[in-house]
Amino acid sequence: MLGKTWISALALTLAASVAGAQTAAPPAAPPPANPVDAASIQALQAMGTHLQSLQRFSVSTEVTGERVLADGQKLQHSARAVVDVARPNRLRARMTGPRTERELFYDGKAVTLFTPAQKYYSTVEFSGSVAELVSRLQERYGVEVPLSDLFLWGTAAAPIDRIQSAMYVGPAVIGGERTDQYAFRQGNFDWQLWMTTGDKPLPRKLVIVNRADEARPQSVSLIIWNLRPAFTDAAFRFTPPKGGSRIELVPLKAQ
Amino acid sequence: MKKQYGKWLLVPALSLAWVAMMLPSAEAADRKGGGGGAAARAGGGTKPNVKAGNNRADSRTNNVRSTSVTNVNNNVNVNKNVNVNVDANRGCCNGWDNDYHPIATAAAVTATVAVTSAIVGSIVSAPPPGCVPVNYGGMIYQQCGATWYQPQGTQFIVVNPPY
Repeated sequence: MLGKTWISALALTLAASVAGAQTAAPPAAPPPANPVDAASIQALQAMGTHLQSLQRFSVSTEVTGERVLADGQKLQHSARAVVDVARPNRLRARMTGPRTERELFYDGKAVTLFTPAQKYYSTVEFSGSVAELVSRLQERYGVEVPLSDLFLWGTAAAPIDRIQSAMYVGPAVIGGERTDQYAFRQGNFDWQLWMTTGDKPLPRKLVIVNRADEARPQSVSLIIWNLRPAFTDAAFRFTPPKGGSRIELVPLKAQ
Repeated sequence: MKKQYGKWLLVPALSLAWVAMMLPSAEAADRKGGGGGAAARAGGGTKPNVKAGNNRADSRTNNVRSTSVTNVNNNVNVNKNVNVNVDANRGCCNGWDNDYHPIATAAAVTATVAVTSAIVGSIVSAPPPGCVPVNYGGMIYQQCGATWYQPQGTQFIVVNPPY
């Protein structure tokens, strides 16, 4: 009896305060009917089309990533990479992580992973586009090419229909360059993209939040572009160094 | 007689001072795994390839439950096709930036490994003889039976088996 009175009294108070808040607050814009903003998707597609049209380029990136410890404490780490590309089928990447330095060579015939410190290399025959290489390396060998999205945006491997939310955030300046900021949501991943303004958009910054863990580890990648690289095709061919030894590249095991 | 003693004492004192002066660069050379030339170079500025101290990282840093990801498209594919948590995929898909990932495994694995072989996280200057180098998940390892080593600068750290 007493409980009931209390509950109805509480309900009344709550209702009154909610009504009060509603009348006091400025009129907010109603949420969009479709969380996927068409103009943002269009901007992403335009960037993808431009990326796929680039024949020779070199990008350097600095990434800050996070790992989550058992108790939820987060640790940050940094890595750098330089990726040289000559379409359709040449790619070279130099990756410097917290512990190791690694290189990847692809000359259209074979792909080689090389660790200069130990002079170990693993070579596998492969022919295909750089986009095919990036997907194959990840799926079969668990090897992620830095900035792999660059090769997938604008292709069927980056389907637009998986994006559950897209919005334009506003203008921003990254490294002194004018960009537009967009935010997307896709499964467990929230990601933001800063692309240069104008009719030749390039991604300058990418932030990905992993929502699968409540600690939400985040990566931040800054991307610097060189559209007039000096490399020649010979730079993509791997020549084993003196004293180097070839080791096995083990495909991913089913876990 | 007293004077002579004094002279004899002076020699070891001087040589001690000389050793003390030389120690910092000797240490630097040791860290770099190089010779006298390396010591001379390391004496000046800090070179980026000179690895910081021999100290072992706190064991708690080995107990990683998840990581950030560095690409949008492949991770979504992983989620859709395999329908597993990215983090459950040991040694896979943790990002090109994360060369810590072999120790990002379940605590249970750590415990089993610790009983039978070298402790995960411990550091040695060289793996024991008879190890086999393996390239897995984009990382180089030295597999020595049940123990796996990952190069870290000029040293090697014991990690959980990547598979």
